[in-house]
Amino acid sequence: MIAVGGMNYDKAMKAGVELPIRCYPLQAMVTQPLKPWLHTLVSSVSLHTNLVQSSRGEIVIGGGSDPYQLYSTRSTLDMKEHLAEGAVHLIPFLHGVRLLRQWAGTTDMTADYSPIMGASPLSNLWLDCGWGTWGFKATPVADKYMAQTIANQKVAPILEPFTMERFATFDLLNEMGATAASH
Amino acid sequence: MKILTCPMNGPRNINEFQNFGPLKANPDPDATSDQDWARHLFRADNSRGTLVEWWRHVPSNYFFLAERNATTNEVIRTFDPSELEQM
Repeated sequence: MIAVGGMNYDKAMKAGVELPIRCYPLQAMVTQPLKPWLHTLVSSVSLHTNLVQSSRGEIVIGGGSDPYQLYSTRSTLDMKEHLAEGAVHLIPFLHGVRLLRQWAGTTDMTADYSPIMGASPLSNLWLDCGWGTWGFKATPVADKYMAQTIANQKVAPILEPFTMERFATFDLLNEMGATAASH
Repeated sequence: MKILTCPMNGPRNINEFQNFGPLKANPDPDATSDQDWARHLFRADNSRGTLVEWWRHVPSNYFFLAERNATTNEVIRTFDPSELEQM
């Protein structure tokens, strides 16, 4: 099974499978630890910002992916300013809180921003790719069904709409499950 | 702030620009199979080397091309679409 996050495109190419994926950086950052006060995920589509408090008390701030494809995982001042602005808009008392870390990872984006799960053109090579900005949130349940798929050698019915073939048949998905993403 | 040099407006802040993805060939819709047309629509250059891609300077609505390294993010050059005919 090919399920290697931002490396899926390269990995599949080694098997001769060309995935309809483009790679974009996705940045996030955390504040200094605070006492627990935020018990839900706050997400704004208009500000392209989401916040969640980790079990260590840090406020994790994330948003949409960078505006153009790139394999570099350097974080940028632009995105730091953008995320900080969004966070302070949503929760003004964060204005004096310091940032501890900022980082970037590579996300593999498909044309409909939905993942590719299921069979590949090769027998016994399964795909779990194109998760873009929301893989960490959805992978536990998705991979329960991928495990079922591999065990039964048959794509689990709930995963069928996510086939790679949907691009060839124009059956694109309107899942849009990503939080605060740029679409 | 990163600077991108627009062929018409000169060096400007990157947030004045919009990226339109890698340059693609223009297949004839009547002579292209459905399979190849789908590929044309949904697949694009995702290499780690130099990309040739469309950009737009938003305030002036001017479209141009840039050669950019997809790993280092170095912009090698930007040019007017009229140069495409000479490529």
